[in-house]
Amino acid sequence: MATYKQRLTRDVDAWIGAGLVPSASRQAILEGVAEDRRFDSATVLAVIGGVLAATAVVALVAANWGAIPRLGRFGLVLGAFLATGLGSAWAVGGNRPVLRHTLLLVAAIIFAAAIGLTGQIFDIVGTPRTALHAAGLSAGMLALAGASPWPAAAALLFIGFGDFGLGGSLSRAPGWLVLAAPMSIPLALHWRSAALAQATAIALLVAGVDGFPDLFSGQRFLVGALTFAVIAVIARGLRPRYEAPAAILYGWLTWGALLYFGLSGLDAKSLGVAHAIAWLSLSAAVVVLGRRDHHGGVIAAGVVGLFAAGASLLWNLGLSLLTSALVFGACAVLALGVALVLRRAKPAR
Amino acid sequence: MRPGLPIRIAAAVTLLALGLVGTVVRESIARERGREVALAMGGYDPRSLLGGHYLAFQLLDVGTTPGQCPPGTQALFDPAARGEGWVALRQAGARHRVAGVANSREEARRLGEVVVRGSARCFQRGQRFDSPAANVTAELGIDRFYADQPTAEALGRSLQAGGAAPDAAAIVSVGEDGRARLKAVVIAGRRHDLKMF
Repeated sequence: MATYKQRLTRDVDAWIGAGLVPSASRQAILEGVAEDRRFDSATVLAVIGGVLAATAVVALVAANWGAIPRLGRFGLVLGAFLATGLGSAWAVGGNRPVLRHTLLLVAAIIFAAAIGLTGQIFDIVGTPRTALHAAGLSAGMLALAGASPWPAAAALLFIGFGDFGLGGSLSRAPGWLVLAAPMSIPLALHWRSAALAQATAIALLVAGVDGFPDLFSGQRFLVGALTFAVIAVIARGLRPRYEAPAAILYGWLTWGALLYFGLSGLDAKSLGVAHAIAWLSLSAAVVVLGRRDHHGGVIAAGVVGLFAAGASLLWNLGLSLLTSALVFGACAVLALGVALVLRRAKPAR
Repeated sequence: MRPGLPIRIAAAVTLLALGLVGTVVRESIARERGREVALAMGGYDPRSLLGGHYLAFQLLDVGTTPGQCPPGTQALFDPAARGEGWVALRQAGARHRVAGVANSREEARRLGEVVVRGSARCFQRGQRFDSPAANVTAELGIDRFYADQPTAEALGRSLQAGGAAPDAAAIVSVGEDGRARLKAVVIAGRRHDLKMF
């Protein structure tokens, strides 16, 4: 996929050819655009080598774990955490952002392991849920301290596992993810992190089913759909300023809004055919919006929604072919009518 | 480079490390200062593959009076049995036995001299095929003793061979906060303490 600079180079050459831009300005324009940062092969191999080395060290320590005294084991774990954490602080001074983020992420993971290992080493009573939530809080603290999105994504993962993991269930009070996921939105945008935006979006979709007494409550899914739609609209509006993270949130939450709206139809009290038609209409509108915004994810959400809503409509109609033909025909007339009106309203070029 | 960033990272790392050390120190002090009680225990399988090497056990008290459960100990399938409360322990010889379960610490103190956070369930004859009388299992958050593999496996074999062996006991420290902390296990007459070194 061409970078922005590559696309700009092509465009500038085309503008110069058309006489819109003087050729003397070409170099100045291109030098004013920063080159996209990409990982070269050497960096990728170095990262893989580092991960493999860390895995080897962990395996070596695990093999001799029983022979190490308890305080020694605790010292090892603590030392590993301090080394990676303080190493991240050192990486700031050397202007090595990738190293800083990597070391902070590794430190967060080591600390999460340290919580569990400390409990094991000293036979400290605790529950997996508490340990995972503590790991999530700690990773969040490192993320905020280091202005780093990667440990923030790890924090969401730990908190999610704590909510849904061992001993967790769906029928209890809302978990921590219900708070943590929305709090990650401004961080993802401020740090312009696509990775954190992805993690945040997934966490938001999962948080919608996190700890509510009635899993299949149509009302709950409707509220969720509306919430996701509102956030998606806001993210859509923020795209010019925040680019990739806003676009990611826009796409995922559009998926979430359509999905939750569809799930609201599972409630025994749902309106059946009316719900399915509404779902169909919303999906079609999402396809149109996605095309307008040139957002493939949103278009895909709309298309999948169309298929799912169509199937739901057929099911609600009791698979009566004649009725299905009438309903789909009416929907088609409506869609074509709207398309005609929009085409006529479009100003001539 | 943001001037405050290395300091913030170092401060956060140091704070978390101190928090972990502080937790270990606090738990160790609470374990040493708590009241020591010996509770009967029995073997339990299977072990989790990813849990490290440990002896898995349950605090199982074989009742001496058939058909009688301590007050507040709910039957296995009792739908009213939910959540944790306070378990009262009363000394009987060298051991402590479950004297009852209550919703509050004060109520539990009326049932036994030692009170600890947790729950207890009573199994009547017929609810578990191997119970000759009313058995009480106490759930105090303690169900394993970490040791190196040979020791853990040997202890596990001794415990399984003994069934609800009368001389198998978990030595537990009950702190001021009402939490139980494992100090040692006694199996086949030998005490295995939790040691720092």
